[in-house]
Amino acid sequence: MLETIANRLLLSIPVLLGVLILGFVLVQVAPGDPARVLAGPAAPPEVVEQIRQRMGLDDPLVVQFMRYMGRLMQGDLGRSLISNRTVIAELSSAIGPTIELMFACLVWSIPAGIAMGTLAAVWRGSLVDRAIMAFSVAGVSLPIFFICLVLIQYIGVKWQLLPFIGRGGPLWTVDGLRHIALPALSLGLIFIGPVARMTRSSVLEVLRLDHVRTARAKGLSEGRVILRHGLRNALIPVITLIGLQAGYLLGGAVVTETIFSYPGIGRLAVGAILSSDFPLAQGTILVLALAFILINMIVDILYALLDPRVQKK
Amino acid sequence: MTTAADIDSTADPVAPRRRAWWRLLLADRAAALALFLLTVIVLAAALAPWIAPHNPYASSRTVMLPPVWEARGTWNHILGTDGQGRDILSRILYGTRTTLIIGLVAVVVGGVLGSLLGLLSAFYKRIDPYIMRLVDMMLSFPAILLGLALVAVFGPGVVPVIVALAIATIPDCARIARSIAVSVMEQEFIEAGRAVGLSDGTLFVRYLMRNCISSIMIFISLRFGQVILIGAALSFLGLGARPPMAELGMMAAQGRDFLLFAPHIAVIPSVAIFVIVLCANMVGDALRDVLDPRLRS
Repeated sequence: MLETIANRLLLSIPVLLGVLILGFVLVQVAPGDPARVLAGPAAPPEVVEQIRQRMGLDDPLVVQFMRYMGRLMQGDLGRSLISNRTVIAELSSAIGPTIELMFACLVWSIPAGIAMGTLAAVWRGSLVDRAIMAFSVAGVSLPIFFICLVLIQYIGVKWQLLPFIGRGGPLWTVDGLRHIALPALSLGLIFIGPVARMTRSSVLEVLRLDHVRTARAKGLSEGRVILRHGLRNALIPVITLIGLQAGYLLGGAVVTETIFSYPGIGRLAVGAILSSDFPLAQGTILVLALAFILINMIVDILYALLDPRVQKK
Repeated sequence: MTTAADIDSTADPVAPRRRAWWRLLLADRAAALALFLLTVIVLAAALAPWIAPHNPYASSRTVMLPPVWEARGTWNHILGTDGQGRDILSRILYGTRTTLIIGLVAVVVGGVLGSLLGLLSAFYKRIDPYIMRLVDMMLSFPAILLGLALVAVFGPGVVPVIVALAIATIPDCARIARSIAVSVMEQEFIEAGRAVGLSDGTLFVRYLMRNCISSIMIFISLRFGQVILIGAALSFLGLGARPPMAELGMMAAQGRDFLLFAPHIAVIPSVAIFVIVLCANMVGDALRDVLDPRLRS
C-alpha cells in the first residue's frame, strides 16, 4: 500500500516540474519588458539597463529559473500589477470560495447522478432509462454559461428566489448558502450527466456477475441485491470518473465563477488575464495546475485503496 | 506464393462490416436525424457568405428587435437583431462557421498528432515508456488550463484557443490510439507482414494505421463536441474570438447585457451551440456503437 502511494508521488514529480517550467515560461514570453515597465515609459535607456541588471534579467535562463524556483519555494509570487496586493494574498483569499463551490457542487450532483444511473440500469430499456440517458446526453451538450444565464434569468430575476451575484459569506451561514446555491446548481447540472452515465454502465456490468445471481438465488430482496451487491461494486469506476472529469469541472467552475461574480480562483484567473496582470495570471494558473495534479493523485490513491487489485499491476 | 497484397486483403478485419455500417447507423433514427441536422448546419455555415440575408457586421437602427415569432418581430430579421442592431440570423451563420472551424482544426490537428504518438508507441516498443510518460504529463493540463495559459501569454484570440484545444486533444487520443494499436500489433498479419520482409514504413502505414484508423476517427468524433464547448466557453469569457468577429460563445456573452429586455440575443447562439454539440455527440455515440463497441467505457 505504502509502495503504491510512494510510486504515485514519485510519478508526479516530473509533472510538477513541468508545471513550474510552464509558469516560468509564461513570465518569460509575456509581452512587455519588465524593466521598462518598472522604469516607466519616459525613462532613458541607461536607467532601464540598470534596472534590468538589478533584476537579473541579463543572467542566463537557467540562473533565472533557479532564482524563480527559490522565490516560489518561499511563497513569493510577486505582486498583482492592478491591486498591488501580493499574489499569494490574492490567491489565498480566492482558494476557499472555490473549494466551497466545488464541494457544494459535488455534494448534490454525485448522489443525484449515482441515483439516476442506478435507476436507469435497473430499469434498463424502460422509459425511465431512456429519459435519464437523454437528460445526461443533453447535460454534456449544454454550454455551461447557458445553464447559468437561464438560472439567473428565472430563479434570480423573475422569481427573485435566490441571489446571483457574489458570495454571501462562508458556506455554513445562511447568506453563504443562498449565494452559493445557483453557482453550485449550475455546475452540478453539467456533472450529473457523466456520473449517471458511468454509474449506469458499471451497475449493468456488475449486475451480470455471478455473485449477484447468487444473492438473488439466496432470496434477497431486489433492493438489497442492487444496493449491496450491485451498486457497491459499481462505485469504483465512478470515483475514477471524478479524477477524469476534474478538468471538465474546472472549466465549468471558471465560467460559473465569472458569470456569478463569485470570488474564486477561476474568476481571478480570467480577470488577471483580461487585464494583462501577468504575475497574478501566472499565480492562478500555477495554483489551478497544482490543484489538478493533487486531485488526480488523490483519486489514483483512493482507487488503489478501494480496489486492491490495482496495486498488483 | 503469398504477396503482400494478398495478406492485406485477407487481413483487414474491418472489410466485411464496411458495407453495412452506413445502413446500421441510419437505422438508429435519432442518430440519423442528428447526422442530417449536423450536415445541414455544416452546409449552412460553409455557405454563410452566400445565404446570409444581411451583412453580419453592419449595425442598423433597429436594435434588440425580437425574432419573427414574437409580437414585434419582422420577416426582414427572422431571428431579430442584437444590441447593435446586427442581424442575428446572419451572425449565427457566420458565428457557427467560426465555432466549427475552431473545433474542427483543433480536433484534427490534435487527433493526428495524438494518434501518431499512440501508434508509434505501440509500433516501436522501445520508445513506448517515454511517449507514455510524456502523454501522462500532458494529461495533467486540462484544456481550460492550457487555454488560460496560452491566452495569458499571447493575448485573447482564436489562434491561442485552437492551439490549446489541439494540445489538449493529443494525450487522450494518444492513449486510445495506443490501446487500439497494441491489440492490432498482436494480430497474425503483422507477423506475416514482417515475415515477407516488408519495411517498417509499409507495415506501419498499410497494416497498423489502416486497421486503427476507424476506431481513432470515432474517438475523435466523440471529442469534437467537448472541444466545441470549451472553445465557446473561452470565447464567452472574452479569451477567444475578438469582436467584431462573430462566434457563438462570444455572441452569447454579448447578449448577457440585454438578458432582461431581449433574452433572445443570448439564447439563440447558446441554443445553436447546444444543437451542434448534441448532434455531434449523438452521431459519435451511434458511430461507436455501430463500428467499434470496444470503445464503450
